[in-house]
Amino acid sequence: MDFAEYKDVLVVLELDEGKPVNVSLENIAAAKSVANGGKVIAVTVCENAAKAAIEYGADSAIVIEGAQFEAYNADAVADAVAQIAAEVKPAAIFTGATGKGKDLVPRIAAKLATGSVCDATGVKLDEAGNIVFTVPAYGGTILTDVVIDSVRPQVASIRGGSVQKLEPEAGKAGDIAKKAITVADDQIKLQIKEAVKEIAESVNLEEAEVIVAGGRGMGSKENFDKLQELADILGGVVGCTRPAMESGWISRAHQVGQSGKIVAPKVYFAFGISGATQHVSGMIGSGYIIAVNKDEDAPIFDVADVGIVGGATEVLDIMIEEFKKNK
Amino acid sequence: MEILVLIKQVPDDSVEVKLDPATGAPNLNGVEAVVNAFDTYALEMAKRYIEDNGGNVTVATIGDDDATAALRTCLAVGAGKAFLIKDASFAGSDTTAKAYILSKAVAKIEEINGAKFDIIFCGKEATDFSKGMVGVQLASELGVGVATDVIAVNPAEGGVTVKQETETGYNVIDLATPCVVTIQKPDYDPRYPTIKTKMAARKATINEITAADLAVDAAKVGEAGSLTKVLKLYEPPKKQAGVKIQEETVADSTMRALAMIAEAKVL
Repeated sequence: MDFAEYKDVLVVLELDEGKPVNVSLENIAAAKSVANGGKVIAVTVCENAAKAAIEYGADSAIVIEGAQFEAYNADAVADAVAQIAAEVKPAAIFTGATGKGKDLVPRIAAKLATGSVCDATGVKLDEAGNIVFTVPAYGGTILTDVVIDSVRPQVASIRGGSVQKLEPEAGKAGDIAKKAITVADDQIKLQIKEAVKEIAESVNLEEAEVIVAGGRGMGSKENFDKLQELADILGGVVGCTRPAMESGWISRAHQVGQSGKIVAPKVYFAFGISGATQHVSGMIGSGYIIAVNKDEDAPIFDVADVGIVGGATEVLDIMIEEFKKNK
Repeated sequence: MEILVLIKQVPDDSVEVKLDPATGAPNLNGVEAVVNAFDTYALEMAKRYIEDNGGNVTVATIGDDDATAALRTCLAVGAGKAFLIKDASFAGSDTTAKAYILSKAVAKIEEINGAKFDIIFCGKEATDFSKGMVGVQLASELGVGVATDVIAVNPAEGGVTVKQETETGYNVIDLATPCVVTIQKPDYDPRYPTIKTKMAARKATINEITAADLAVDAAKVGEAGSLTKVLKLYEPPKKQAGVKIQEETVADSTMRALAMIAEAKVL
């Protein structure tokens, strides 16, 4: 395998109502940082998204066309990306480390018989031109540096919030190539019968600068709902632990941790959260952590910048009043 | 239905694992080895499936002798048979190499069981290295379909219907069997063993399978067969120790905290 032939970086865009999601735009910035003279090429099924990607720094875009891509099917998209990769010979292929992205990466890598990395939080080039991926292990208490140095392309999903997206340049020129693709029937094994939307609200935990999170210590749905008030005052988003979600106080779209979202806001409030590693692994990357718990030995205090020993709702009420005053 | 559940033994994920400064490796001293949480959900879902629809659950893992403990745990909560896939040459295998080994092991276990597997369950990821790729790569090796983030599996004509958790809800997906599913936490917890099932599991046979049994290509396993290479492990920059405030009244504590937050200029 002659690595010199493999130059460009493909970024597979994930869409939300026809627009690239934030992590896809961040992927473009990540791709540019390791493109090493190659081009950054956005791959999508939507022409408007392709234009947006170019404005956010992609050099060009490929728009996949075909009846098989009208509704999202991971098997179809993985095969299409693999077909494009066989032609373009990219050095790397990136997706966001979302549910869809993490599902797609090993599918693409398997089709191309290449290596893949999941949920990277950093990318840089080494002297030999390999991408060094930073990948958290053990819930983020240990980091690993991983390379794919014997094959190409290097396929990876990159966690939201780990790379800053670039400032968009409105109307930026870039080649958009439409490409009709047909995926062989035997490559499509998933038959998606129904895509059900249960959570109507759009929650963007990964992009939030402030997260006001609550756990079991909030005691009741009524108390839990007050977190929204503080979040509104601070322009933040409400987060929760798994037990809070399981108590029915809030939808799982707000869940932070091992079976929820990994977040890294500037400020994270943890009200009535004990600090189980399953939760902490999802928020340890936060810039400034404020924890409130009535148990002075709660492990959440080990990771907090400021900890308040006291009842979560009592502290919350005071904070709401004070932040209102200072607004 | 014949079901295979693939599990991984991992360090207890409720314990914060740090690096051992002397060796540079994760310090797992005193950290209990457990079955990966997502694999316990997979096993529970598989067990419920056969309770409702009939069939057998076999459990298997790649590991050394220590991993028999994890297999016995699974035998105590519903698995009928257990296989340890063990070989010194497997050490250092990445997800690609593991998927290859597992694909060979699936065929071998099917031969021993005298029946083909209909569904292979895996956890959506392991709590230690959280790669979440082996299930999809295994499906590719086997040439079968795979659905990820699955929270329910039900029988359907010619296969199964699965419920896949998505950001805003769920997808209903039909998959022909044989297939692979990777399991996200459903809205129930795994069952506990009883003293009786624990005793039985302790006495049960753990079947061992080695590289020779599998006729694996040595170039495709271990470090040689891995496409990813871990260069180093390190700890993220340490956060400065924070302040814990406990004044006479909660109001005083809160006001002091607010003053500190204001001073830090983070909002």
